[in-house]
Amino acid sequence: MKKTGKGIGIMFYGTGYGNGYPDISRAKAKIDTDGRFTISSGACEVGQGAKTSLAQIPAEILGILTKEVIFDHEDTKTTLDAGTCAASRQTYNTGNAMKMASESLKRILESKAREILNLSEEEPLVFDNHEVIVEGDPSKRISFKQIANTADVGDLEVVEIFQAVTTKMNEETGEGNPYWPYTFGACGVEVVVDTETGTLDISKAILVQDVGRAVNPKLIEGQMDGGFAMAQGYALLEDLNIVKGEIKHHNFTKYLIPTALDAVEVKKIIVEDPESSAPFGAKGIGEPVMIPVAPAILNAIYDAVGVRITEIPVTPEKLLKAIKEVG
Amino acid sequence: MAFKVIGENVLRVDGHTKVTGGAKYPADLALENMLYGKTLRSTKAHANFTIDTKKAENIHGVVGVLTAKDIPGKNCHGVLFKDHEAICESRVRRIGDPMAVVIAESERIAEKALESIEVAYEELAAVFDPEEAMKEEAPKIHGEDNTVFHFKIRRGNVDKAFEEAAVIVEDTYYTGAVDHAFLQPEAGIAYEEEDGTLTVIAATQYPHFDRMDIAGAMGMEEEEIRIINPAVGGAFGGREDLTLQIHLAVAAKKFKRPIKMVYDRKESFLAHCKRHPITMHCKTAADKDGKLLALKTRIVGDTGAYASWAVNVLRKAGVHITGPYEIPNVWVDSYAVYTNNPFAGAMRGFGATQPPIAHEQQMDRIAEKLGMDPFSIRRKNLFTLGSKTATEQVLRESVPLGRCLDALEAAMNEKPLPDENINYLEDLKERQAKKEGAWNEKNR
Repeated sequence: MKKTGKGIGIMFYGTGYGNGYPDISRAKAKIDTDGRFTISSGACEVGQGAKTSLAQIPAEILGILTKEVIFDHEDTKTTLDAGTCAASRQTYNTGNAMKMASESLKRILESKAREILNLSEEEPLVFDNHEVIVEGDPSKRISFKQIANTADVGDLEVVEIFQAVTTKMNEETGEGNPYWPYTFGACGVEVVVDTETGTLDISKAILVQDVGRAVNPKLIEGQMDGGFAMAQGYALLEDLNIVKGEIKHHNFTKYLIPTALDAVEVKKIIVEDPESSAPFGAKGIGEPVMIPVAPAILNAIYDAVGVRITEIPVTPEKLLKAIKEVG
Repeated sequence: MAFKVIGENVLRVDGHTKVTGGAKYPADLALENMLYGKTLRSTKAHANFTIDTKKAENIHGVVGVLTAKDIPGKNCHGVLFKDHEAICESRVRRIGDPMAVVIAESERIAEKALESIEVAYEELAAVFDPEEAMKEEAPKIHGEDNTVFHFKIRRGNVDKAFEEAAVIVEDTYYTGAVDHAFLQPEAGIAYEEEDGTLTVIAATQYPHFDRMDIAGAMGMEEEEIRIINPAVGGAFGGREDLTLQIHLAVAAKKFKRPIKMVYDRKESFLAHCKRHPITMHCKTAADKDGKLLALKTRIVGDTGAYASWAVNVLRKAGVHITGPYEIPNVWVDSYAVYTNNPFAGAMRGFGATQPPIAHEQQMDRIAEKLGMDPFSIRRKNLFTLGSKTATEQVLRESVPLGRCLDALEAAMNEKPLPDENINYLEDLKERQAKKEGAWNEKNR
């Protein structure tokens, strides 16, 4: 018999290393003699989209296209330490360092432009297409390249450092501010359980993610789909079968992860509530997107067949056994 | 304030090269005159051993076999404690511990030569259950105590709250170890540059940290080491502890030729950390209206043979076990414990992914007992602006959990979303001005 049930799960997630540990990102912004903009920071692109979304931050500030941002981040010889690409911290921490460095560089460019064009402090400037332009008087303009050619070596280069604010918790009571910021989310699923085989289909899936501010909504949606799939594997499939310290399921014939055929059409809802200490309000979502999914599935299983599963993964064998036990 | 670039669906700058197969992952790289490395790994979970590599060294095409004595600097690495040996010297603590690395002219020769290395094990008592490992008489994995870390929260008076509660739900939840199963198994190349710089190209989550650990093992200055991070085929926490980086560096320096190593899937499973298996015993109480009164919990995380991030992960689990709810009385004991299991470390969520398996089921069970629905019980207790967490942290801004739940309920019932949930673009500058400046000033 097929039985349908619904379940939800909600979550919070504290970003960063936490507990007062120095959580530091560094970024260097510069304009070279060709007028090109480079931002250097040791943040990794591990597939999450950092190479794109982090580059959007200086692009916004300096009025250039994201693809024109040279984001140097692969080589320790040329980049500064930006901390680990983990703890959902790169958008927040490195994003902040890159924002600060880009803003400082922008201020330098403004001041150089005023000097060269003989402008007063009051004249408003805009940045567009590698140029500094007097707002309302576009005849007065100067390119990044022209500025660079009149500047001394090192003038158009600035390093900024961002450090997240957390405090060490009291060792006896736990009192303290261990993480910041916090990210929130919610998931709801509908499952159809086959009570004769113990197999389960997710017939409906909704994932709602607080992002602070969405830097790149499509990339966030990509993370949400990935997080959902990974959680689906965590809840239902993935079992290393460790026996006396030995991993028995050490390849994908035995260690089952969701494939494209298991992938569920997830309705994805992005909720914005900008965080003032974050770059443009953006919080990290790399981990949060996964977290509320597995409990929603477990609650839906209970709603469908009345069994409380306290141990994951809920393989068909395990679910079938549990269904039989409750009769 | 209107944004030009923030909020735009800018196409992934690395998307085209990745989907067309042009992106260079470390396994795609090759250098002239390159040698290949293969790792001999422990088949015992806990043992002393001696090793004889002579036969393997004499095989045609083998240029050498690295053992612990070839590590020029400190033979250790680790993200928090330096409790991993780069190559185990005389004791292994888990199945999969590296014991030797064959360096040969081809991958095939290196692989074949592994069989000629002679290992004599003297097995030690092993422990695989963290509860057993916490006992005094348990075999010790490192030092005198297998309990790596104990995190506590003591808030209010849980016992009194349980006495006054209308409903109490108590159960034990267990989450298993899982693998990151990133698409691209570990791979890398190392070589010496003309100026003596030792360069390691390997997919990593933190090049500057890798540099530090490699410098330590090489006995070199960090500036003499260069890490290049090529395209990374997924990580999810599995590329934080080093795997093949030190082996590559040692071999490149010793043999003065470029070295390449590529793990197959099985070795990848053996080499990197797993998600912590965690047992969570939770006793949760609420009043007759569904308002949470207390949580008492004992959390035990199995970090296996090495600490990796165990302290931080079980701390994060201890902080997040309340769920996103205000609970006035909270008692948390969260332990990280060594065993002889595969080691656990960072994985997406980092100790915050396991707790919802417990707290979200606890919430539904309380709701059921009180005849409430899952949305109402959560609304009654969830974090809002100004809420205090169990660690007394005040959530001063950006707490849109209620709105997330509203949006979820609407979508579940196929009703239109509340407008404010879409494109919520409040002017950040205005907002910042409105905020209590003093708090920011003090804490920035």
